Amino acid sequence: MSSLGSACGVTVRDAGEDDAVGGVPPRWVALPETVEEIAAVLRACAERDLAVVPAGGGTKLHWGLPPERCDVLLDLCCMNEVPEHAAGDLVVRAQAGVTMGTLAATLAAKGQELALDVPFADDSTVGGTLAAGLPGPRSFRYGTARDLLIGITVVLADGTVAHSGGKVVKNVAGYDLGKLFTGSYGTLGVIAEATFRLHPLPAERRWAVAELRRADVAPVAARLAAAQAEPSAVEVDWPDPAGPLRLAALVEGTAAGPRAEALRELIGAGSVTGERPSWWGLIERDDVLVEVRFPPSALEAVLDAVAATGGLALRGSAVSGRVLLEARRELAEDELTAALTRLRAAGRVNVLAAPHAGLDRWGQVSALPLMRRVKERFDPGRRMSPGRFVGGI
Amino acid sequence: MMNKLVAALRALLPDDSVITDPVRLRTYECDGLTYHRATPGVVVLPGTAEQVAQVVRLCAEHGVPFVARGSGTGLSGGALPREDGVLIVTSRMRAILEIDLADRRAVVEPGVTNLAITEAVRERGYYYAPDPSSQQVCSIGGNVAENSGGAHCLKYGFTVNHVEACEIVTPDGDLVTLDRMDPGYDLLGAFIGSEGTLGIATKITVRLSRAPEAVTTVLAAFESIEQGGLAVSAIIGAGIVPAAIEMMDALAIEAAEAAVACSYPEGAGAVLIVELDGPAAAVERQFDRLREICADAFELRVAAGEAERAAIWKGRKSAFAAVGRISPSYIVQDGVVPRTSLPAVLAAIDRLSAEHDIRVANVFHAGDGNLHPLVLFDDGEPGAGERAEVVSGAILDLCVEHGGSITGEHGVGVDKSRYMPKMFSADDLDTMQLVRCAFDPRGLANPGKVFPTPRLCGEVPGVRKGVHPLVESGEAEQF
Amino acid sequence: MDPELINDCVHCGFCLPTCPTYVLWGEEMDSPRGRIHLMKQHVEGTPITPEMAGHFDACLGCMACVTACPSGVQYDRLIEQTRVEVEREHVREPAERAVRGVVFGLFPYPRRLRLLRPTMWLAERMAPFLDRVSPSLGAMARLAPRVERRQRLPRVVRARGERRAVVGMLTGCVQREFFPQVNAATARVLALEGCDVVIPPEQGCCGALSVHSGRGEQARRLALRTVRVFERAGVDTVVVNSAGCGSSMKEYGELLGHEPGFRVMDMSEFLAELGPVAKRHPLPLTVAYHDACHLAHAQGVRAQPRELLSAIPELELREIPESAVCCGSAGTYNLLQPGAARDLGDRKARAVGTTGAELLVSANPGCTMQIAAAMRRGGGQIRVAHTAEVLDASLRGVSL
Repeated sequence: MSSLGSACGVTVRDAGEDDAVGGVPPRWVALPETVEEIAAVLRACAERDLAVVPAGGGTKLHWGLPPERCDVLLDLCCMNEVPEHAAGDLVVRAQAGVTMGTLAATLAAKGQELALDVPFADDSTVGGTLAAGLPGPRSFRYGTARDLLIGITVVLADGTVAHSGGKVVKNVAGYDLGKLFTGSYGTLGVIAEATFRLHPLPAERRWAVAELRRADVAPVAARLAAAQAEPSAVEVDWPDPAGPLRLAALVEGTAAGPRAEALRELIGAGSVTGERPSWWGLIERDDVLVEVRFPPSALEAVLDAVAATGGLALRGSAVSGRVLLEARRELAEDELTAALTRLRAAGRVNVLAAPHAGLDRWGQVSALPLMRRVKERFDPGRRMSPGRFVGGI
Repeated sequence: MMNKLVAALRALLPDDSVITDPVRLRTYECDGLTYHRATPGVVVLPGTAEQVAQVVRLCAEHGVPFVARGSGTGLSGGALPREDGVLIVTSRMRAILEIDLADRRAVVEPGVTNLAITEAVRERGYYYAPDPSSQQVCSIGGNVAENSGGAHCLKYGFTVNHVEACEIVTPDGDLVTLDRMDPGYDLLGAFIGSEGTLGIATKITVRLSRAPEAVTTVLAAFESIEQGGLAVSAIIGAGIVPAAIEMMDALAIEAAEAAVACSYPEGAGAVLIVELDGPAAAVERQFDRLREICADAFELRVAAGEAERAAIWKGRKSAFAAVGRISPSYIVQDGVVPRTSLPAVLAAIDRLSAEHDIRVANVFHAGDGNLHPLVLFDDGEPGAGERAEVVSGAILDLCVEHGGSITGEHGVGVDKSRYMPKMFSADDLDTMQLVRCAFDPRGLANPGKVFPTPRLCGEVPGVRKGVHPLVESGEAEQF
Repeated sequence: MDPELINDCVHCGFCLPTCPTYVLWGEEMDSPRGRIHLMKQHVEGTPITPEMAGHFDACLGCMACVTACPSGVQYDRLIEQTRVEVEREHVREPAERAVRGVVFGLFPYPRRLRLLRPTMWLAERMAPFLDRVSPSLGAMARLAPRVERRQRLPRVVRARGERRAVVGMLTGCVQREFFPQVNAATARVLALEGCDVVIPPEQGCCGALSVHSGRGEQARRLALRTVRVFERAGVDTVVVNSAGCGSSMKEYGELLGHEPGFRVMDMSEFLAELGPVAKRHPLPLTVAYHDACHLAHAQGVRAQPRELLSAIPELELREIPESAVCCGSAGTYNLLQPGAARDLGDRKARAVGTTGAELLVSANPGCTMQIAAAMRRGGGQIRVAHTAEVLDASLRGVSL
């Protein structure tokens, strides 16, 4: 056991090549099994001024900027229990290292689900899902991870264990640290446990699917967004900007069949199916991954910008104003920069992953000075995933 | 300090926007919670975001605390003024700046009332979903500060789930936009519900929701509150997510009846209001299922139209204020328990009530376990107020014991800060305080609210040594 | 001011959005909740300061807050008690005193008003000059109606067809002198619906203006006389077509310490209860119905006039947004607080404008005058009528 391991009494192994974060190799990998062990590791790291990057399934570790330094990879794979599933209250508390697949299976056994759709569900963990905060298709209806999170336990850089929220859905006592930590890319501390509100698994799911020309997508999306059939999601998939788009609108729950049919009529084409489209909510290549957020009425402008680039594939929500772009082929840095400029005329563009160092990944952010101040308070020594996030936070 | 500040405020704002007359100032001494009172040092009524920023900047320069107030309907004393501070009232900032149905959003000033947004878009088939009981009067700025919910948040969520962006004035006096679309920390999520301690919202972009195709409102009368509780569990257990499930006990019904003559079924030990909404086909089937579940109800009323729906809701929505009809004084409590603990907690409240000879009327959002016990007492009777306080506090203890919360929607404010340590550890509270210090290192934004005895920013946890320089200079206060 | 009544207020604020002055200025002390707080301060020993008196004076007495209050606070009684207290304790500025003297020396006295009638044409032309002397006098002049030919009403108008009821009718002061056609229409409608209408010629002012302005003695004197006149006439129901008068007369019990020997009903309230027998002829019109505060809030009469109007064939009734908020007329308010009254009038005119209606109907000539004037200021125009006039036209089959 390493000196760090003996100092904190937690399993710590030497890091190997596979443990690198964005190309930055850590020296050790710590494997805490409890919240207290996470705190012990962080306290030991604080004493030694070691930089820490928390990791779950490692599916998105190459997203964001590489850390300025990385001494310890905090692997949360052993925090893999679901200590509490209060089915009657539609609430679950899970440790950070539980994979989303395992969690879904546990909940499904009681006829419930966490209404988040995550890519790489077999490997993605609860902690990683929160830290990345990526919206999925059904965010149109259920909100994103931050909207379903009702309680959180975090460990700060100095080893302080803090909770906020609780295990009831309705709760306004104190600041909501859960919101702050969701989507913070491990830069504020370690997410150790999370409590979510759940939904009953819908008895039925139906998709209205159709193939559309680019020019038809925006008006169809506007009709679907205003539909009273309560769609849970409306996704588009556009693997090749030279070709047509696939659109799928999901309806869940009571009377799903007739409601999906009503949506199909609004689309004016296609069919209704009980089968999830093969591409639904997936990320296939994420060496280059760009997220575009935009007001729903800017959909057409986004599609035009993507078409003008050529090298990008689009997938995402036609009604929430959020799509992901993947590279269809190798994209040179200047090619990507040009695409970003075009896209930024239509919406908010975040480069989630890219091998290039010179890109403007996030654009201007009004609240960046405030964010820096938050970072300074939570992590004054800049030891939590330093430099990984917006503005090099 | 105050005199210099008042002179500067007068130079900045029109005459009628700075109030210093003592008689006028006193009308601002409390919000909807009258138990705590403090006459503000000065009241300002800015008309623009820029004026708010300038006022806050002056406060920062002079080291004077400020408190924001909207319509003054809060029930936790969140807008309780400071005698040594400035009360910034947003009631003149009430323009709906933009309505954009294509993007399903509206941009409003903070003084706009919650209901005004819905009224502005209702005819076009949209509405603003969060609906606190005070929706016709409470302001959106206040909703943002308190993260207000409402009867329909069971299905649709709270203010935080429906606000897309806020322009805020930070405690330094800077105008900053927090936008859900922006990358970076979710400061918007942290700001909403921070009860005015992180700054003042001056422009709010809210999401508008499509009106449901069908709404069915059902009033079910039960002989006892236990039967009502069982029905609630059964509805949720059946996988139905109604827009709202509300419950009132016999005493609350009596009050509502006296106030608004809502004509709920006579002799009911509890009434349940269940509202189903959504696509017509779905609502119809859910209603059939609901009818089966509520087989124990001795009367089941279904609202035939908008007028009947309003009549059913009227009793519920006016319940708080209506209690004034059956009791000279009362405390409105707000606590949350896991839904499955409702029967146990209600039984325990009954015991508390009997033990202390204090009547408790129960009104609650049963769907999400949010209790609003109304603790009734006669302030003319010696000792009654104290006993009511004991009962009210014990109810919060019950909520915490059952894994719930000391507030579901009214906020912590000044009223419940002392209960925060029951729910959170010192480390939890210190960690929340880090957010506060990032936004407001000098602690000028609504000080004394939410947190029991906040450390000064920069102070090391542990034993306090000597007097902090800010305290010594009179710029900050240690509690 | 009764501390018990003050304590009924739980400070919930539900009254705020319905209060015209709060809607205008957004200030706590110009809301019912704030005014009750001021009353509390006074009861607890704070003397009435000029600021405090100003906030009480600014209250229109529209009673929208009474409707909105879930706790049943009797703000109407509170503000009346307060006004008496203000008159007793507070010394007003000389100019203000003079205006109030003119208003209260004039309006409750039909005979004095009659003397003014020939000068009305002059008043309108003098308005700009009067504005400079006193905005109140200017407002008074500007609002002066063009007077219709006077119609002397008989002592009794007999029922047409089968007699279904015998009622007394109040002719009012302003109504009688400036809107005689409304009284004539009311009497005809009642008669066509089968009522003997008793109109005692010796009746005078009901006392409403004095009650609303804290002139308790004057109010009681006028009320007593009105009660005597109608008791002598031997009717058990007195029908009133002016909202302000009706609301005050319904409070006679409170004012005099004993109930009068008859019940007081608004014309629309009475007709709705009586039920229609006369034939309604079509009136192809779009109508915006304005809730006069003293009808809607003080008397709770909202549905009946709408029912009566809607029952007229081909008449389309449109709702005015913010219908609960006062138009600013409020009895003598537009004379005593001309600035606020004007702003409220403009606001109401905009709301009425959004309905696109051709005709504005209300139960109070003060309201319709105020709104029509505001619409003219805004460059618009709308015809106005009293509910009675619309019914009269429909029953008689003539156009309006």
